[in-house]
Amino acid sequence: MIDTNIVSLMKSKTLLSYRGPFYIELISVFGMNIRNFNDIYINARKKLFKIFIELSQNVSNYSEDFHMVNNVQRIGIGELYLTELGESYSFTTKNQVKVTDANILAERCELVNASDQGKLRELKREQRINSPGEKFGARIGLIQAVMLSRNKLDYKVEEIDEDFSYFSLTVTIDKY
Amino acid sequence: MENISLQSSPTTPYFPEVNFNADQGICDLKGESYMEETYKFYLPLINWLKDYTKNIKRKLEVNIKLIYLNTSSTKCVLDILELLKDYEDQGGEVKVNWYYDKSDPDMIDEVEDFEAESGMKIELKEFEQ
Repeated sequence: MIDTNIVSLMKSKTLLSYRGPFYIELISVFGMNIRNFNDIYINARKKLFKIFIELSQNVSNYSEDFHMVNNVQRIGIGELYLTELGESYSFTTKNQVKVTDANILAERCELVNASDQGKLRELKREQRINSPGEKFGARIGLIQAVMLSRNKLDYKVEEIDEDFSYFSLTVTIDKY
Repeated sequence: MENISLQSSPTTPYFPEVNFNADQGICDLKGESYMEETYKFYLPLINWLKDYTKNIKRKLEVNIKLIYLNTSSTKCVLDILELLKDYEDQGGEVKVNWYYDKSDPDMIDEVEDFEAESGMKIELKEFEQ
């Protein structure tokens, strides 16, 4: 019997891959392309666009590898991969994080994955109200990604050295 | 009190179009909102509303037609709605209309959450893109 995951992988098509600084201008152009891939799966593409923006801006805002623009603005460096599979799209981001932050992020992913839609909505409200705001944003991007995709987050931590790791995050968005 | 008018541009689609008019008591926010440093963009709008609700104190109509806003922007919009709710609680007359794309039902949940979190009544109005 052939493994369905292998079949799906064989049918996969890379729609976008990028490695470098996540400037807003670039995120915006990529986002526009995602919206215009084709005329079918409109609902999936809307969700994909929203998840794409959230996860890309996480890299831009929080990657420990970054560019400084005019000594003021910090632009995170990372990677992104968007793949079309038979029944879904798969979107992955990867960036450098502190080892201590990797543990916190992994715990957050576990919490989000263990929550149903109702609990996620509750968590989102709680987190948004309690967020300090300003430069910290709402800190609900991961919750939002799962609420929109209705699929669990797939994450991986790869150690670089004793201080830093790579954190990669994959969200699957069903076409139907 | 000065009005705020910011036009949207195809080269910067992550900034929404803004029209805050003190003479008419109408505030329009439309387009998309996913800029960097969200708070820096929204702070002048929040300050304008603080000024209006403190000094002008007339009827205020807020029309939001954001087809997409990132989660950082949702925090700022929530701050605006909380400010409007305070104004209403102090006797101010406020109406908030939220126009959502008919083909994007996720926005309805978002608006319901805004209502629950801020306590501000929001009139949902459908439009077709």
